[in-house]
Amino acid sequence: MASAERTQEILKGLREAVVAYDEEAAARLSKAALAEGVSAYDAVRQGLAAGMEKVGEMFAKHEYFVPEVLLCSDALYAGLDILRPHIRAGDASEVRKQIVLGTVEGDVHDIGKNLVKIMFEAAGWLVHDLGTDVKLEKFAEEQARTNADIVGLSALMTSTMLAMPRVIQMIKARSPGAAVMVGGAPLSPEIARQYGADGYARNAGEAVREAVNMLSRLGTKG
Amino acid sequence: MARQDRMTSPERMADLLGGRPIDRVPLFLFAKGFSAVNVGYPVASVVNDPEKSFRAQVWTQEMYGHDEEPRLSYAIYGGWEFGGEVKFPTGEFAQAPSISRYPVQSEADVEKLKLPDVKTAGILPLMMEFCRLQEKAGRPIVPSFESPFTTAGNICGVSTLCRWMLKRPELVHRLLRLATDHVLEMMRYWVETFGAERLRPNEGAPTESNNMISAKHFAEFAFPYVKELHGKLLAMGVKHIASHICGEQNANLPYWAQVPMGDPGIVSFGHEVDLATAVKYFGDTCVIAGNIQPAVIQTGTPEQVYQLCGQALAKAKYAPRGFILMPGCELSPLTPPHNVYMMKKAVTDFGWYEAVPSDV
Ligand code: B12
Repeated sequence: MASAERTQEILKGLREAVVAYDEEAAARLSKAALAEGVSAYDAVRQGLAAGMEKVGEMFAKHEYFVPEVLLCSDALYAGLDILRPHIRAGDASEVRKQIVLGTVEGDVHDIGKNLVKIMFEAAGWLVHDLGTDVKLEKFAEEQARTNADIVGLSALMTSTMLAMPRVIQMIKARSPGAAVMVGGAPLSPEIARQYGADGYARNAGEAVREAVNMLSRLGTKG
Repeated sequence: MARQDRMTSPERMADLLGGRPIDRVPLFLFAKGFSAVNVGYPVASVVNDPEKSFRAQVWTQEMYGHDEEPRLSYAIYGGWEFGGEVKFPTGEFAQAPSISRYPVQSEADVEKLKLPDVKTAGILPLMMEFCRLQEKAGRPIVPSFESPFTTAGNICGVSTLCRWMLKRPELVHRLLRLATDHVLEMMRYWVETFGAERLRPNEGAPTESNNMISAKHFAEFAFPYVKELHGKLLAMGVKHIASHICGEQNANLPYWAQVPMGDPGIVSFGHEVDLATAVKYFGDTCVIAGNIQPAVIQTGTPEQVYQLCGQALAKAKYAPRGFILMPGCELSPLTPPHNVYMMKKAVTDFGWYEAVPSDV
């Protein structure tokens, strides 16, 4: 069992490894955490995920750009692959939340959607990524199949953005309890509301927080 | 009654590029999918059917009285040409083609990658057919491509490109080398076919925007190749290069300003770059074009569009080498016609350079 001090050192090391996109250190420290008896859950939440949250902030402040964020996420996954199998069912205080995510039909811009995915995975969510140019019916089908808490829709063009209200209707018709969140450069909180979405986030850094707030606002499963 | 144009579109553009006075600010619509839909064709025809594409763009140009030469182009340039697969747009919300399989999937693929045959690769036979229609019509000829950096992203996928920039920069440089050499070969073929004098090459540069990469990475990867490419195109006898500097690129502008564009070049911007800033960096060497947000043209009110255009004209009308009113990126095919008309109305209300005849 690691001392409190050593535990803090490992957690800090994990955070820094993610921020410095040091895949090798993230893997090494994840193994050290397991070997020295640090809880895998803490190592993920207070180590890797906290690091990734910081990365999201740096991206929002234009200190990091897409290449840096992608490599940070590689370091994150290098650690998660090692730690996740060791998280015990009772560790997490709540059931793991799920999101269906995709870029709507006609649109192939996927960089933003991928960053959003990374932030949800870092926060411990199970992400069902449908990719880009996703047929409109597919979102509701996947939500029904997985019973996901949230569907996240991305669009980067004003043309494809117009598909969103229709997708939202399809989802609500099939699963009235499912929450829908939208994002992408042409969207705004006003447009999101007009379209019947339950939530909107400006960037990947804010997406998870907004998702959690949205669920508690709606008083659903969250 | 609104004032009448005193020049035809070809006269206006020839005199603008020749440094002579013109009657009013020219209007470009950046309307490809929009033009197809405007005349009742499928969106895809603007890229995969040269005849329909040309006709749709010419008719739309005539209907709206705008001054942009038609073109057969796409932002995913390189993906198909280097051996991948593309999907043409279908469905009611689609606007443009996409890459369904990248030619480069692994590091090993980069080694194996070869320069494509410019007579047969990807969209080039269609583009050649299109340019022959331009030649037959006695119009300028517009070959289109993307910047080396954007082309590289279209060859291996943008996420992979981003990772390699930090981890395997030599692979990125190899892709950039191939992308640059390919466009040079393609343009040599065009010069041989039509002569350099009539060519108005058109380039798009979205992936190097600061939405994606830092100015430091722009300087390291994008800048040297686009600078080399343009230098060599001008050395082939090309007179004017039109470059669309897409998205948020403010931090890259000091580098772009060192890229030769011709005398003058034409540089166009999205709403992310203020026109006063554009004039500051490029006004002495280039015609400035832009920057009405396509989202507003699609979803805003006519008053909003008209007002934005008025503001743009006030800012840039007297740019030293000239100004062209233009959307900040390609118009959505779903843009309402009356909002497009607001752009035309703005140039006919505020775009004149000559005094009103009765004032003289
Ligand atoms: C890079 C780029 C491309 C690349 C895309 C590569 C890829 N694999 O994604 C390529 C070259 C392929 C491309 C193609 C085209 N593009 Co483009 N492209 C861009 C550019 C410059 C950057 C987009 C980007 O990745 N940004 C970086 C990411 C990190 O930011 P983001 O996507 O906004 O995502 C963040 C937030 O929005 C949010 N978010 C995003 N999704 C979601 C989802 C949820 C649920 C939540 C909560 C949050 C969220 O979080 C993200 C992270 O912080 C933009 C400019 C701009 N202003 O956005 C134009 C832009 C999007 N493109 C545009 C256009 C027109 C096109 C083309 C039609 C061009 C053409 N002539 O062919 C084609 C269309 C292809 C197609 N069928 O989709 C226009 C759209 C205009 C419009 N109609 O609204 C833009 C806006 C340019 C402009 N200035 O007008 N493009």
